Amino acid sequence: MDSTPQLNCCAEVAPLLVFYACDEVEPHEREQIDAHLVICEACRGLLGEESELRIALSSLSQTADEMDPTGALLAQCRSELSEKLDDLEMPKVRERWMPFGWVQRWMALRPAWSAAGLIVFGVAIGTQLVPWLAVRSGGEDRSTVQAVNVTATPRLTDEQLSKMAVAGITFAPAPDAAPGTLQVQVRTEQPLVLVGSVDDDDVRRLLTFVVANGERFDPGTRLDCLDAVKARTDDEHVRKALVKAARTDKNDAVRLKALDALRDYTHEAPVRDTLLDALHHDSNPGVRVEAVNLLVNSLDGDNELTPGGDGSLPVVATPASNAEPAVINGDGQDVGRVVRALEDLQRRDPNRYVRMRSAAALRQIGSRDMQ
Amino acid sequence: MVEAQAGSRHAFEELVRRYDRDVLRLALNLMKRPEDARDVYQEAFLKVYRNLHRFRFECSFYTWLYRIVTNVCLDQLRRRQARPEDQAPETSSTHDEGITDFFERQKEQRPTLDPERRLLGQEIQTRIASAMELLSPRERVVFEMKHYQGLKLRAIGDALGTTEETVKNSLFRATRKLRSQLGVLR
Repeated sequence: MDSTPQLNCCAEVAPLLVFYACDEVEPHEREQIDAHLVICEACRGLLGEESELRIALSSLSQTADEMDPTGALLAQCRSELSEKLDDLEMPKVRERWMPFGWVQRWMALRPAWSAAGLIVFGVAIGTQLVPWLAVRSGGEDRSTVQAVNVTATPRLTDEQLSKMAVAGITFAPAPDAAPGTLQVQVRTEQPLVLVGSVDDDDVRRLLTFVVANGERFDPGTRLDCLDAVKARTDDEHVRKALVKAARTDKNDAVRLKALDALRDYTHEAPVRDTLLDALHHDSNPGVRVEAVNLLVNSLDGDNELTPGGDGSLPVVATPASNAEPAVINGDGQDVGRVVRALEDLQRRDPNRYVRMRSAAALRQIGSRDMQ
Repeated sequence: MVEAQAGSRHAFEELVRRYDRDVLRLALNLMKRPEDARDVYQEAFLKVYRNLHRFRFECSFYTWLYRIVTNVCLDQLRRRQARPEDQAPETSSTHDEGITDFFERQKEQRPTLDPERRLLGQEIQTRIASAMELLSPRERVVFEMKHYQGLKLRAIGDALGTTEETVKNSLFRATRKLRSQLGVLR
């Protein structure tokens, strides 16, 4: 005797149509529903409504597509997760420093006082203790004094930089517009703590090294260093490190941030080349969009304010039908390159939003040149 | 997976990258706010990280991961339901408005687009969004996983730690609520 339940009437078939429409019924149920639908117009109508709903749902854009069209949110989430994983792994370092645990907690809660205290401590060490030790030991060479917590910036050798690992970075913003104080815990042959601002040569050198050699450090550390060092993009070495990070770092958020940090130097050839390279080769659509935005803004700056090479006002050429728009102030080649790159992106980029942004950028450039 | 359980950070991050796009999509579609979705993402993967040693391969990692993600989403949705003041829709940021305006300008420039159809689509989207607010957290999760993630009901049941029958009931109720909202359009 067949033990499978029989579906004989609408009351039994109708509730199953939701699952029939999304192919979630058993084979024997499907057969019986098919047989019932042949003879029942009402159930056919219900099935039609279910199908309409499914079609309506599938035709609508999803919230995820609207809220993260470029993948930038995903890149941020990944970076934040890396940072949190770093924090979870930190207890190994904290255990080593356990005797000073209460100091760290106090400093974390009072960053301004901590910064002031560290600076005073550093000055005291540098001006009082070191000479006293030198005198006491009969004028021994100061380099034999070993400092574990170093508040005066030590000279980091290239060898130390090449072998170091960064255990952690904390940042204490200054109350005024001055750069804040950074505390960087470095693992070299001897653990040391570097304290100073981004204006200090050694601190800046260390941060720049981390940014430029991303393959050696985790993404969270690279982002922290980038955040700190971008205040000094006037330094040529910092810009070189940012250019390298924008080209080669494996983390999307790091590349994005590096490009953003270079926004005031898009007139420089290496930076502009990096932006153009990002347009063509970067795997992340958010980074490509950022490159488009920076290039377009840089052309804005070229067109509006930069005088011609002979000091005359810039002349905007009215383009012929096939000619590329140009600004005759010595940067005509650059504008042409940007336009060609954007046209290529508009045609070939796999990401819809990137293609649309490129199209908008081309219109922006074109309308500006027509004025 | 085995390397990640042994403590390899690189292996764990590789595991994350394999699944995190889908996880974030699910979180965004359910939570409707980027910051909430980000919190779900962080909380879910940190739970995975802390409990990876407890995974015994009794089910697929995908199922285990989704179990964690859906539980985090359900917790957040239930907390949100308990705090009505948190349910106010977010106003668009300037950036979002710029994108929306940009896309709207593109659409207006396409002469073949049917404005009536576009308006109907917007109306349907608004109705569905309103109807989704009427769903319970579980109904919303089941609906999202079925229609937007494309999972089978059995897999959804595994992820939620419940039976396929319970999931069917949730889907039935969710679909009925949505149909009653869309039925007014006709």
